[in-house]
Amino acid sequence: MATRKVAVNDKLPSVTKRITQESINDFESCGILDRENIHNSPEIARQRLGTSFPIASGRMSVTYATEVMRRYFGSQVFNHSGSVNLKFLRPVKAGDTITVTGEVSESERVAQGVKYTVNLICQNQNGDQTAVGVGTAVVP
Amino acid sequence: MPRDRSSSGTQRMAIPKGKLKPFNYDAAKIGEELGSYEYVLTQEMLDSFRRAVGDPDASFPTLAVKHDATALAMVYEDTTGGVNAGNEVEFFNPPIPGKKIRVTGRIHDKYLRRDKPYLVIEATATDEDGRLLERLRTYQMKKPDEVGKKWQPEK
Repeated sequence: MATRKVAVNDKLPSVTKRITQESINDFESCGILDRENIHNSPEIARQRLGTSFPIASGRMSVTYATEVMRRYFGSQVFNHSGSVNLKFLRPVKAGDTITVTGEVSESERVAQGVKYTVNLICQNQNGDQTAVGVGTAVVP
Repeated sequence: MPRDRSSSGTQRMAIPKGKLKPFNYDAAKIGEELGSYEYVLTQEMLDSFRRAVGDPDASFPTLAVKHDATALAMVYEDTTGGVNAGNEVEFFNPPIPGKKIRVTGRIHDKYLRRDKPYLVIEATATDEDGRLLERLRTYQMKKPDEVGKKWQPEK
């Protein structure tokens, strides 16, 4: 697999996901514990958060950010050297559309190659940031 | 541990309620070991995950298994819950369907920020061949109603 040429300030192709309660429930059903929680139960969301709606797991946003990184760096690179670090700022819920964008912010030579850092932003349909953070990948 | 299967094909583990300790934030210790467990990742689980996130090449269904939160839930009954304030995940090798995954969890840190208690839980996953798969940390804010108050006015 050819190694991608990466440069600081490169913009990564974005990923956009429409969030539905079905997609939230499907994500939760991948767990190995059979539990209702603030993501798949309106009642538990009401009890614990005081909201009238369940919220999507932040890990769904992590997964979308992971997709952005993997598509850009390639699975051979990202799946073996990558990381994603997100801070969640706003809730994501059914009906939202989340777009994840990334821009290469720095590079650093390391023993295994060059480590690139990408600034990641998750935004909803209103332009509000729902999560921000960084991803990294080491290109041999 | 008893197991069954969900409609998504995920193996389910049932935790006997009486075996869980009530979670007490003040008593939780940094470095404390959480539950360790094993499960077999099936092709069905991988396919379900890919459908859920709309990515036919998604490689880490382990993200939806929530290794660290599962490790916590295997030890503690946490009736307050928490809100996920952040995740850090490192990827080393994608899991292979049919292989057993072994997870170990621990409390990585806890601290107060703006008078809110945070718990940082961590899980490391390896497969039956000893391949390191993933290391995941979750920053849980343990006063979930505090953020819920801010979120509810949204229309």
